[in-house]
Amino acid sequence: MEDRPPQEAELIARAKSGELDAYEEIVRRHQGIAFRTAWVITRSAADAEEAAQDGFVKAHAALPRFREGSPLRPWLLAIVANEARNRVRGAGRHVRIAQRVVEERRPDDAVPSPEAALLDSEQRDLLLAAIERLPRPAREAITCRYLLELSEEETAAALNCARGTVKSRLSRALDRLRLELREVEA
Amino acid sequence: MSELERRLTQLGRELDWPETPDLVSDVRQRLASPAPAGHRRPIVFRRSLAIALASLLLLAGGVVAAVPDARDAVLEFFGLQGATVERRPSIPSAPELRVLQLGQRTTLDRAGGELGFTPLVPSAAGRPDDIFVSTRAPGGEVSLTYAPAPGMPATGGTGLGLLVSEFRGDLAPEYVGKIAAQTTRIERLRMDGDRAVWIEGAPHLFFYRPPDSDFAESELRLAHSVLLLERGKLLVRLEGAFSRERALELARSLAPET
Repeated sequence: MEDRPPQEAELIARAKSGELDAYEEIVRRHQGIAFRTAWVITRSAADAEEAAQDGFVKAHAALPRFREGSPLRPWLLAIVANEARNRVRGAGRHVRIAQRVVEERRPDDAVPSPEAALLDSEQRDLLLAAIERLPRPAREAITCRYLLELSEEETAAALNCARGTVKSRLSRALDRLRLELREVEA
Repeated sequence: MSELERRLTQLGRELDWPETPDLVSDVRQRLASPAPAGHRRPIVFRRSLAIALASLLLLAGGVVAAVPDARDAVLEFFGLQGATVERRPSIPSAPELRVLQLGQRTTLDRAGGELGFTPLVPSAAGRPDDIFVSTRAPGGEVSLTYAPAPGMPATGGTGLGLLVSEFRGDLAPEYVGKIAAQTTRIERLRMDGDRAVWIEGAPHLFFYRPPDSDFAESELRLAHSVLLLERGKLLVRLEGAFSRERALELARSLAPET
């Protein structure tokens, strides 16, 4: 008999009925994206860990209210992101999105020439710097939607705003990034 | 997808994100033995406080290693219903001017309907120039602001002559937190039977601890002379660059506006 992993709906039903093992599997599947989303908001690994952990605990308590058939991930991300926002500090701390870029390349990547690698690295730094200069709502929208690859629905849930707001923030942010990058290159 | 969107997506895949901690066992442990309702996990506050202090030190060009130990460095403790004041060997430098986040501007009439209490107004200062209401504290919080005037000079941190904040201390026992250094004068007072604390002499750190949320660093700032006063279920906070006598005079004149 094929030993396939349980579907999400099945896990949710079992977790709702009190099976901790099923909820544990839900946490395992979503902890990565939950932690990163919380980190995008708090910019602190310690706070993101607390926010994600508290979010999962609160989501478990709220499971009976979870609407059957709805996607779980946006719902979870909304709860975790709310916990993260509760921990957001003032302007006193601002960790950059990333201090460095993963060095390993996928095996199917062609090995770049030293000049091309340098160019890539410079372009990435310029792009990161331009993202950092965006106003916070735009920065979070860009980071969630593209860097974390959340869907529009998930981005809206994480940022506690309407999908239309996400669209307009992304549109303005992309325009601004294009402008900044063009100015730098000019 | 545009070229820029493609590059952003690629960037996300190449970034060195912080490593995701294993949350499964901690979540399971908490679900298996939930904390009693309303229980505040002190370790969370301690850690948050240390992080907040660290951020201030970084701002001031200090080093994280100089963060005082949040548990051991308390030299003296003053507690009121709704506020705590801790004296520590020193406090880190902090920006003098932070944008005050007092909530939505309103009127005294409307504030009464929006709050779980009737606002008190210090008649000795006259009518406030502005009234703000925030839902940050249970039962709400009202802030009355006064422009500088004789007897109420401008305060360095806020630019105001007087800032009065009121909230239900009985509903939020540790809502206001203060950390003062040894050079700051902290005095316990009784004012017509009400407990009060007067803080004067050096700026001190001021922050909020909303219930069910551990630490509001966005409200972390330096404050100057402050009188904290219990009045029934309310905790009233008067901040300004005035003397102790003037603060007491203002506090004695606190009453619902008729």
